[in-house]
Amino acid sequence: MSTAVTHRPMDAAVIAARNREDIVVGNEIIRHNRASRLIHWSVAVTFFLCLFTGMPIWTPVFGWMAYLFGGLSVCRVIHPYIGIAFFIFSIAMFFQWISDMHFRDDERGWLGPKLMTYMRYETDDSQTGKYNGGQKLLFWAVSLGALGLLLSGLVMWFPRAFPPILIEFSFLLHDVTFILFVVAIVFHIYLGTAAEPGTFGSMTRGTVTRTWARLHHGRWYREVTGDDSRRA
Amino acid sequence: MASLAATFGRGAMTNGWCDIKNADVILAMGGNPAENHPVGFKWFIEAKKTRNAKLVVCDPRFTRTASNADLYAPVRPGSDIAFLLGIIRYAIENKRYHEDYVKIHTNGPLLINAAYKFDEDGGVFSGFDQAGGSYNKDSWTYQLDAKGFAKSDPTLQDPNCVFQLLKKHVARYTPEMVERVCGTPKDKFLKVCEIVTSTYPASKAGTITYALGWTQHSTGVQIIRAAAMLQLLLGNVGRPGGGVNAFRGHSNIQGATDMAGTFEILPGYLAVPTGNLTTLKEYIEAKTPKPLTEHSMNYWQNYDKFMVSLLKATYAKHATKQNDYGYDWLPKVDGNYSWMYICDDMYRGNSTRAGGKEPGPEGMLAFGMNPVGLGPNSKKWIAALAKLKWLVVVENVEAETAAFWKAPKEYDTPDAAQIQTEVYQLPATDFAEKDGTFTNSARWMQWKWKAVDPPGQAKSDQEIIARIFLAVRDLYVKEGGQLPEAVLNVDWSYSNPVAPDLSEALKEINGRALEDQHDPKDKNKIIKPAGEQLDNFGQLQADGTTMCGNWLHLGCYTSAGNMAQRRSGVDDPTGLGMYHNWGFSWPANRRIMYNRASADAEGKPWDRTRPGIWWNGEKWVGDVPDMKPDAPPGTFGAFIMLPEGLGRLFSAAVADGPFPEHYEAIEAPIVNPLHPKMTSNPVSKKFSSDKDLYGKKEDYPITATTYRLTEQFHYWTRHQLHGVLNELQPGFFVEIPEGLAKEKGIDNGSKVKVTTARGSIEGVAMVTKRIGPMTIDGKPLWYIGFPIHWGFTGPEKHRGPLANAMTPSAMDANTWTPEYKAFLVKIEKA
Amino acid sequence: MASQNLEIRRSSASVLGSLSGLRVVPTVSKYIDTTTCIGCKACEAACVEWNDTGRIGTQQTGSYQTLPTLHAQFWNLIRFNEKEFDGGIVWLMRKDQCMHCDEPGCLAACPAPGAIVQYANGIVDVNPDQCIGCGYCETGCPFDVPRFHPTTGKMAKCTLCVDRVSVGLEPACIKACPTGCLQFGTKDDMVALGNARVAQLKANGFQQAVLYNPEGVHGTGVVTVLAHGDHPDWYNLPADPHVPWGVKFWKRLLRPIGVIAIFGAVVGAFAHYTKYGPKKVQGADDSDRNIPVA
Repeated sequence: MSTAVTHRPMDAAVIAARNREDIVVGNEIIRHNRASRLIHWSVAVTFFLCLFTGMPIWTPVFGWMAYLFGGLSVCRVIHPYIGIAFFIFSIAMFFQWISDMHFRDDERGWLGPKLMTYMRYETDDSQTGKYNGGQKLLFWAVSLGALGLLLSGLVMWFPRAFPPILIEFSFLLHDVTFILFVVAIVFHIYLGTAAEPGTFGSMTRGTVTRTWARLHHGRWYREVTGDDSRRA
Repeated sequence: MASLAATFGRGAMTNGWCDIKNADVILAMGGNPAENHPVGFKWFIEAKKTRNAKLVVCDPRFTRTASNADLYAPVRPGSDIAFLLGIIRYAIENKRYHEDYVKIHTNGPLLINAAYKFDEDGGVFSGFDQAGGSYNKDSWTYQLDAKGFAKSDPTLQDPNCVFQLLKKHVARYTPEMVERVCGTPKDKFLKVCEIVTSTYPASKAGTITYALGWTQHSTGVQIIRAAAMLQLLLGNVGRPGGGVNAFRGHSNIQGATDMAGTFEILPGYLAVPTGNLTTLKEYIEAKTPKPLTEHSMNYWQNYDKFMVSLLKATYAKHATKQNDYGYDWLPKVDGNYSWMYICDDMYRGNSTRAGGKEPGPEGMLAFGMNPVGLGPNSKKWIAALAKLKWLVVVENVEAETAAFWKAPKEYDTPDAAQIQTEVYQLPATDFAEKDGTFTNSARWMQWKWKAVDPPGQAKSDQEIIARIFLAVRDLYVKEGGQLPEAVLNVDWSYSNPVAPDLSEALKEINGRALEDQHDPKDKNKIIKPAGEQLDNFGQLQADGTTMCGNWLHLGCYTSAGNMAQRRSGVDDPTGLGMYHNWGFSWPANRRIMYNRASADAEGKPWDRTRPGIWWNGEKWVGDVPDMKPDAPPGTFGAFIMLPEGLGRLFSAAVADGPFPEHYEAIEAPIVNPLHPKMTSNPVSKKFSSDKDLYGKKEDYPITATTYRLTEQFHYWTRHQLHGVLNELQPGFFVEIPEGLAKEKGIDNGSKVKVTTARGSIEGVAMVTKRIGPMTIDGKPLWYIGFPIHWGFTGPEKHRGPLANAMTPSAMDANTWTPEYKAFLVKIEKA
Repeated sequence: MASQNLEIRRSSASVLGSLSGLRVVPTVSKYIDTTTCIGCKACEAACVEWNDTGRIGTQQTGSYQTLPTLHAQFWNLIRFNEKEFDGGIVWLMRKDQCMHCDEPGCLAACPAPGAIVQYANGIVDVNPDQCIGCGYCETGCPFDVPRFHPTTGKMAKCTLCVDRVSVGLEPACIKACPTGCLQFGTKDDMVALGNARVAQLKANGFQQAVLYNPEGVHGTGVVTVLAHGDHPDWYNLPADPHVPWGVKFWKRLLRPIGVIAIFGAVVGAFAHYTKYGPKKVQGADDSDRNIPVA
C-alpha cells in the first residue's frame, strides 16, 4: 500500500514562529518561538523521565513505572543523570523567560486568593500581560523547585560525601519539592489543555489566536497588535 | 623451664590449660596470654565468669590481656624480680602465706649452711668468682645430719632456716622500693599484693601464668623462680586452680624440649654426657642424686633405668651390657653449644671452648629455625652465616635465614658476590601436611592427622632427617671414618626407613619389653611379654631388657594403643577439667603435677571442692597421683623428683643465686637502686666480638621491649599466599607513649626511627595511652615497644624491618636465652 | 542473601512479608560480651573466609584496628578504643557489624522491593539481585553499617550467616571466637545471658554496666554487654539509636500524603472540568473583535 505524500506550502505563521514571537501573523499571534518551545519541551520531557524513574523509587505504588525503563535498577542509574539534564534545561528556560517573569504590583494577589478566583474563571484578564500571575508563580516555583531537586538530589546521589543529617533533610526536601511540583504540573497541564482550549497550540505551533490572546492576556494582545479598542 | 625444674623438679607448666578455670586469682605477668594464647585464654574467662575469679595483669604495656583484667599495674621492663620479691615480702610481713603448706611441702624449715650469705652492699651471693663470672655453690647447701639428711626446724624460727633467710633476703623489697625500681605506684602495688596473696588460706587457690616476657631476660630464670617461690608460700602448687603455668611459644615447643630440644639434654631431660664421665657407671653415679631427707622418694634414683632403656632404643641389639649399652658412642660435650654460642663461633671463625684453637663450624643445618629473624643482633647472624661454606635450611617458605645473602644493605650485608656460602633450601611440610603429635604447654600430647598432601617436592620432617641420616650412613659404610659405630650402630628398623611412620616412632618413644618381664613378687608370672609395649615407667629396667625413647613420655603408646589419639572431651568425673581420656599428659597421664601437695599432712584435700588427690585409707585417688599410689601420707614428700622431696624456696640449682635478686638488664636504663655497685646480673652472659655492641643509658635513654601479635604467627604469616591474617595486622609499628611522642614531635601513623648501639630501623608510630609515663628512682623514664613479625622476605607489601636487628646478644646464665625484652634505644622522627 | 527457605517477616518497599504463620521461629541473636573480648580478630578472619569477601588491602596507620570503618568486603570489624577511666585507662574492643535491628532502618529506607528483608527469625539480609545500590539504607541505618561494593554498587553487610543459621549452625564469627565472648542463640536466651553478666559486672563495681539492646529500634539481633554503659560512644555505639526521623517522616507521612496529593491533583482537575468546563471565548470566532468578556 502506498500513499502519495502531499506537500502543502508551509504555514506562514509556523515559519515566522521559528525565530520570532510577539508578532501577529494573519489571525494568529506568535506566542513562543521555536527556541522557547524546544526548551520548554526539553524541560517537560526530562521532568517526566525523572518523574517516571523517580516515582517507583519513591513508592512501590508507582513501582509499575519502573518497567517502562527496564526495571528499578535502570531507573536508579538513569534518574540522576536525567535529573542533571532537567536542571540544565531548567536553567536555560529560566534565562529564556526571566525577563517576562517579574511580578508587577497588581499581581501580588496571585500568591493567595486570586489563584482561586482565577480557577473559578472570575478574573478580568484584560490587563494581563504576556504571562499572568499564576504563570509567573509557576515559573518561579519551577525554577526554585529545580534548584531544590538538584541540590537534594546531589546529596542523595553521593551520600558518603555528606553528613547524615543533611542527607535526611535532602530526602525530605526532594520529596516535598517533587510532590508540590507534580501537583503544580498536573494543573499546568490541565489548564494548558482541557481547561483553556487554544493554549496548547502556543507550545506546538507556537501560536495562539487573537481571540485567545485578547481573552487571557489582554494587555499583551494590545501590545502585540497595537489594538487598544477594547480598553477597559 | 630451668627454674621450674630447680624449684619443683620438672621443667614444665605445673597444671593445665583447662585447670585455669579453677583459680580464684590469676596473676598474668611476663606474658600476654590474650594476645599470644587466645584459645587458652578462654579458661581465664571461664574462671572470671564462673568463679568470679580476679585477673591481675602486671605488664609494661596495657595489653590485650590487661583489657580483660580486674586490676592492671604497670611494671617497668626488666624489673619483675623486684615486683615479685615485693609481693613475697608483703606475704611474709603480713602473715599472708600458707603456713601449714610451707611447713609440710617446702624446704622452708630446712637449715642452710652458715657460710651462705647475700652481700646487700655488693649485690652478690657468697661464692662469687669475679674472674669467671660465676658462683662457687659450696655455701649454697643444707646443714646435714649424721645420716646425710638436711637438718630442719619445723617451727621455721631458726635464723638459718630457709624461711628466715628468705624473710631477710626480701626485707629490702618494700613497697617504696618496688615503686622506685618498677615504677608501679605504691597503692597499685599494694592492691596487687592484697589480691594475689588472698589465696593463702587453704580454701583458696590462685595461679600465676607467664610466658616469654619473663624468660627472655638476662635474669629470666630468676624471675620465674620468684614466682614459683611465691606460689609455694601461698600453698598454691600441686593444687587445682594453682600452679605456675608456663605458656609455650609454639604448638609443640614442649614436645621438642622433652625430646632433647637443646644441646645439654637427651630425651626425657637426661643429661648429655660430658668428657669427664668416661663410663656409663660414672655417668649414672654422677647424675643420680642422693636423697636429702628421709621422706624423699627421689624418683631420679631410677636414672639408670631411663638411660639404659634410651640407649637400647638408640642402638638396639648393638647395645649390650659389655659395651655399656653403647654409652661410648654418645657424643660428649666439652662446653656450651647453645645456638647463641654457635653463632659466635661461626662469626669469629674459631671455637671459644677450645680456647680459640679450633676452627668454628663450616656449615649449618637450620631445621625449621630462622635464626636471622628470631636470633638477637640480626647483623651478627648475617655476618656469621656469610662465613660458612654451606648452609642447609629446611623450611616451608623462603625465610630470612635462607635469604640472608640478599638481606638489605642496612643489615651490613656483604656484597652477595663476596659471600661464598652455598645455600640449600629443602622444602618442608606445614603442620597440616603431616601426621604427628603436638605436646602443648599443659604437657598434653595430642596426635594430629595430616589434612592435605604437601605441595611440590616438600617432604615431611622425618623423611628429610631419614634421607640425610641414610646418606651419611652410606658414606660411613663406604668410606669409614672416626668412630663409625656411632652412626652405623644406630637402630633404624622402621618399616619404611626412608620415611618412617610416626606412629612407629611414637611406639619407640614409649618403649617396649625386649624380654619377658616377670612380676617381682612372683617370678613365674609374666607381666609383660617380650615385644609388647610398656604401660608405665615403673616397668623400665636397667638391665637392657626394656627399651624406651623417652621415659617421660612412657604411656603415650601403650599396649592399649596410641594414647595421644584419645579424644574424650566428656569424661571428667571431677568436673575440674582433667579429662584423663583426652590425649596423653606426661608424666603418666597426670594432669596436675606435684598433686600430693593438694592435700594436707593426713592426705585430706586442702579444699574439698577442688581436690587434686586424696588418701582414701588404702591408696591415693583423684588425679593420677604424683606419688607412690599406695604409700600412706607421711611416707614421701610431694616433690618426688627433688632429693629433698620438698618444693624449694631455696635452690642451689640455679646459676645466679639460691634466691632471686633484682638486677637491671644488661643494657641498664638506671643504676640498680638496691646495690649501685652491681647493677646488672653478674653471671649473665655477653659476647665480645666487634658485632656485639651494647648501649649505655647516656646515649640511649629509652627502654624498649619486643613482643608478638595475635594476628601474626612468628615470621611465617607474612608469607601467607591466601587468607586474610596479613591484612589484619598489615605492617611493622612502634608503640610510643603519648608523652614521648609529644616530646619528640611524633604524630600517630607517621614514620619513626629507632636506634640502638647495633643500628636503626624505621616503622610507623603507634602513639598510645597504653604505655604510661613512668617515674623510676625519682626520675621520669620512657619506654617503647615493637612487635617482631616482619623481615625482608615474603610478599613485597608485607615486608618490614627485623625487630631483632635491635636486640642485644645478652643472655640468661642458665638457659642462654637472649634478652629480647629490655634493651636501650633512642627514637626520633624519620 | 543465602536463604531461600526462611520465611520473611518484613520486606523492603513491600506491604506484606511472606509469613505463613504456620511455622513458629524464635528470633535469634548474637551475644557480644565486650568485657571478655580480647580483640583477637578471629571473628574478622572467619567472616572473610566464610563469606569469601576476599582480601582487601590494609595499611598500618597507627592502630590495632584493621580498618577505620566497615567495608563492603569487611563486614565484621573489631573497634579498638583507648579511654581514660578511673585514674588509669581502659582499652575497649567491640565487634562491630550489622546489628540486625528488630525495626531495621535500612529496610525502612530501602526503595527496592525485596532488596532488604527481615526473616521470621529476625535476621536482616540484603538481596543483591534486587538491590539498586541507591544508598538509602545507609541513611536509614542508625549504626552506620551498610556499605557499597566499589565495583558492583550493591549494598553489602553482615548476613548473620543466614546460610549457616538456616541449617542449624552458628554464625562463622561465633564459631571462631576463642574466649566465648561471642555466643549465639535465641534472643531470649542471649538477653538472659547478658543480664546475668551485667549483674556480675555490677557486683564487681561496674555500676554503669548495661546490656545494649536499644529500644529505639525495638531491640537488636546483636546484644552487647558494655561495662561502661554510660558511654556507649566509647564503643562507637549511638546512645539512642532509632530509624532517622527523616526516613520515618518520608516513609510514614510524606509518602501517603504525596500519593494522595498527586492523585488528588488529577482528580481535582477532573472535578474542576466537570464543574467549570473549558474556559472558552464565548460565542465568537476569531474575527470578532468585540467580544464581551466575562
